[in-house]
Amino acid sequence: MDLAIEVHDIEKRYRTWRNRKGFCALDGVTLEVPRGVAFGLLGPNGAGKTTFIKVLLTVVRPERGRVRVLGGDPEDPRVRARIGYLPERLDLPAYFTPMTFLSSVSRLKHLIPARDGILRLLDRVGLANDAGRKIGGFSKGMKQRLGLAAALLGKPDLLVLDEPTDGVDPMGRVEIRNLLSLELARGCTVFLNSHLLAETERVCSRVGIIASGRIARQGSLDDLCRAEGRWRVAFAPGASPDKLAAAGFQAAGKEFLFAGQDLMALNRALDAARAAGAVIAEVYPDEKDLEQVMSEVLTPAPVVVSSPVVTP
Amino acid sequence: MTVLSIAADLWRHAFARKWFLVLGVAVTLFLVVIALSLRMDVVDGALAGMRLFGRPKTIEITAVDVALRPIFKAGAIVIYYPFTIFLIALCAEFAPSLLAPGRIEHLLSMPVRRWELVLGTYLGVVGLSALFALYGAGGLCLILGAKTGVLTLRPVLAALLGTISFAAIYSAMVAVAVLARSATSSAGVGIAVYFAGVLAGYRTTLAPMISEGLPRHAFEAVTGLLPRISSLGNVASEMAGGQAVSAMHLAGLVMGFLAFAGAVLAVAVWGFERKDF
Repeated sequence: MDLAIEVHDIEKRYRTWRNRKGFCALDGVTLEVPRGVAFGLLGPNGAGKTTFIKVLLTVVRPERGRVRVLGGDPEDPRVRARIGYLPERLDLPAYFTPMTFLSSVSRLKHLIPARDGILRLLDRVGLANDAGRKIGGFSKGMKQRLGLAAALLGKPDLLVLDEPTDGVDPMGRVEIRNLLSLELARGCTVFLNSHLLAETERVCSRVGIIASGRIARQGSLDDLCRAEGRWRVAFAPGASPDKLAAAGFQAAGKEFLFAGQDLMALNRALDAARAAGAVIAEVYPDEKDLEQVMSEVLTPAPVVVSSPVVTP
Repeated sequence: MTVLSIAADLWRHAFARKWFLVLGVAVTLFLVVIALSLRMDVVDGALAGMRLFGRPKTIEITAVDVALRPIFKAGAIVIYYPFTIFLIALCAEFAPSLLAPGRIEHLLSMPVRRWELVLGTYLGVVGLSALFALYGAGGLCLILGAKTGVLTLRPVLAALLGTISFAAIYSAMVAVAVLARSATSSAGVGIAVYFAGVLAGYRTTLAPMISEGLPRHAFEAVTGLLPRISSLGNVASEMAGGQAVSAMHLAGLVMGFLAFAGAVLAVAVWGFERKDF
């Protein structure tokens, strides 16, 4: 598999003069992101998401482990030249205009700052009419759009975006999603770090959940959200709950759940329900949303206390 | 190339800021005041009289180039000493702002090496100081040249020596900025190096005044490492005043300043390479 990001067993500790042992931000993280996909890194505050991104970009150096990005060492400037990055809190020069800022970024990326190209890019992020304004007067969302434009400069092979829609209005979020879709269609890999689970669900096809500096779960969105062997069935009004229960369906709100991996078992249950007069409206796999998946991963398992068995 | 891009960017940042433009206006105003208030009467290549702010100065008729020497000397001292302190205060913010959260991550994610960032920032600031020093000294030369007919570049050379002095001080400021990420600490160290460097220029005179033994050795050891700012300042004023300057002495001093700047910058780069942001 052609990988855009390949991280193996990295450890990062933030040490201080007083605390030489330090705080472990990443503890043996191993993660692979194939090229051309949108990958979302999720996790609670302080889980190590931003540190992980910083390791990818050599802003932070890990104590242990191996990091490869786009098939090379990210310490190599030629590799970093192929990465577009939007930091969580991008500090933009207030006295610059978007044109001067993007020209400056172009030069640092070893690109020739062409006015037309920059104007096109500003148009893509919805800032074409503000090209000549001072950045200091921009709203948070506008600054975020400009940061995204800077990340998109030079058509990078990998986009690393830390909370890209932070402060952006709902319509702007849709625009950014569309923009990311176009980048994905171009073959770019998108690595997204977002607190907005719905946003991640809409953009990403693969997800990793990080907790306490470790990857707790990773895989395709479908795999992570699929509830093992459970189906959700909607019946037309009038179906008898007792008869449906007898057929093996368990009431869940207005719908019913059927537990079982065997498709034949599901069909037999459906036949029994229909024989009892129920009309099927919809059958679909019972999928969890990312919020539920996150909750499952992050909620500690309850401590089982053994109690004496009381026999009558 | 990347180093120059970073330096050029720093210039753009500087000139986009109002207070930096104010500095340019202040230097220009200073030159305009000199040009308008300094009246000189030159007769057949000799300075017959001079009025500053309307007050006549008692000057015997002297060859004009000789008569102007004290003025050039005073100009060189102003550019060398007070202007350096002004620059320390003015430029203290550049390196820490480069390391500001949200900016440094973005810079390091680009195809830029860490040493290039340090060197680019350093050269950008030193270049700015050279620009202002040359503007002030060059303007002074042109004004006096127009008024008296004596055109000399000696004050410009003195201004260049002032830039070398500031370059050494700024290397220490960059090192502190990298380690502490604070404009105040950077400025504080700049001022400390400046005054310690002034003392270092008189170390052989001052050493006998310190108790023999460890205190004197410590004084000699510390001042031995510092750039001799007052020594170079004396050379700059002598040069502007048309006095003979030993080329070997000057070369030795300049080499000392460059060695100090190089060593401290190497420490700054070493610290920067190991730092997480």
